[in-house]
Amino acid sequence: MRFEIQGNPDYGEVVVELGPNEELLAESGAMSRMSSHMEAKSKRLGSFFGAIIRKMFGGESFFVGRFTHPDGGTVAVAPQLPGTVTHRQMNGDHVFLTAGAFLACTPGVNIKAVFGGWRAFFSGEGAFLIEVSGTGDLFYNAYGGVVEKDVDGSFTVDTGHLVAFEPSLQYSIGGMGNWKSTFLSGEGLVMKFQGNGKIWVQTRTLSGLAGWLTPRLL
Amino acid sequence: MSVEVTNRGAFGSALVMLQPGEEFVSEAGAMYRASGNMDIDVKTRKREGGGLWGALKEGAKAMFAGESFFLSTYRVKDNSPGEVGLAPILQGEVSSLEVGSETWICAGGSFMGASGGVKLDTQYQGLKKGMFSGEGLVYVRASGQGELLVSAYGRISEVEVRGGITIDNGHIVAFTEGLEYDIGKAGGWIASALSGEGLVMKFRGNGRILVQSHDRDRLGGALGPLLPPREG
Repeated sequence: MRFEIQGNPDYGEVVVELGPNEELLAESGAMSRMSSHMEAKSKRLGSFFGAIIRKMFGGESFFVGRFTHPDGGTVAVAPQLPGTVTHRQMNGDHVFLTAGAFLACTPGVNIKAVFGGWRAFFSGEGAFLIEVSGTGDLFYNAYGGVVEKDVDGSFTVDTGHLVAFEPSLQYSIGGMGNWKSTFLSGEGLVMKFQGNGKIWVQTRTLSGLAGWLTPRLL
Repeated sequence: MSVEVTNRGAFGSALVMLQPGEEFVSEAGAMYRASGNMDIDVKTRKREGGGLWGALKEGAKAMFAGESFFLSTYRVKDNSPGEVGLAPILQGEVSSLEVGSETWICAGGSFMGASGGVKLDTQYQGLKKGMFSGEGLVYVRASGQGELLVSAYGRISEVEVRGGITIDNGHIVAFTEGLEYDIGKAGGWIASALSGEGLVMKFRGNGRILVQSHDRDRLGGALGPLLPPREG
């Protein structure tokens, strides 16, 4: 399998060349173009009930698309929103993605929705996180630019801006500054990360755009 | 203090590094990430010595300009340096301007932040000028010494003005004080209405103007009718 990320940082997409019988799993609806002989199948992620609950609370799709052919071929996948696409080589390690950040992976990569508890519910990313493990290629997307940060100690992220983080980091939800600042700043609640590891944040949020549009409704 | 514009292109943002004792002010809600030692304090916009009435007046003006009533001030709470990342809501570039030898006038919707040494005054354009300006009634005057951060919807081009230039209202990001301007129509009333070129700012003199490639209000105008009507 060969891949190329094109269009970064503004309009990222991934073009994948699959060898015979090689497989690519992609977020439902993400395929933008492919070889005419390529077969698109769907695959349910995790257990049936897990998938339903995830759909209800996590905003993540029930099924992923599965692309393969005995002769191989080309598949391009693009995220729902413009922004940066990032590749991560998984080597048996773990990483957490927020719901909606998953774009595509190779079959050796395991994706599992995990309930993040109430703090995830308040994170502005949905109550579910996607735990990625296994070995292979992982592609994930962001709305806007992506900033990678090596956290050593503590780091604050505004809710809605988180894309991915390594499991060595813990977070809590809280306000910033005093209570007045929390309510008036427009920052509302923030995620406070602690520990040692990498974190990826995006420079725009969809809820920000929606908030900007709301007063413009007729 | 250092102010760095990051993620150039469609999704600009800025990273501000603060030393102990320094402060930076932004539009409320612009912060998207911060180091753990960063503290935030929120204030209403206020003219110096204006009291409560002044604060309310400034707040009302800010709201007319499509801006937040509140400004966030960032400071580190310990004795180590800290950082805060700022980003606008819409797609577009971010630019950092030096305030000092130049005083900048920034369109209300384009103001993103400024360092502590920059004095910010919301300026009412006056009824005749402001009523017709696509960018709202309010401009932010940034004087003093330091850095000013502006955001645009789309790309930013800088125009050196020598003599005069005409720019559509909705495309102004910021301009240097000293330029004189009138708000008027691009042609006659009928020509203006037909060409879709509504009101323009006619600048005279020498200075610099930052122009944005797209107009937020036109995005709002295009999207508004496509969205479902409000319920209730």
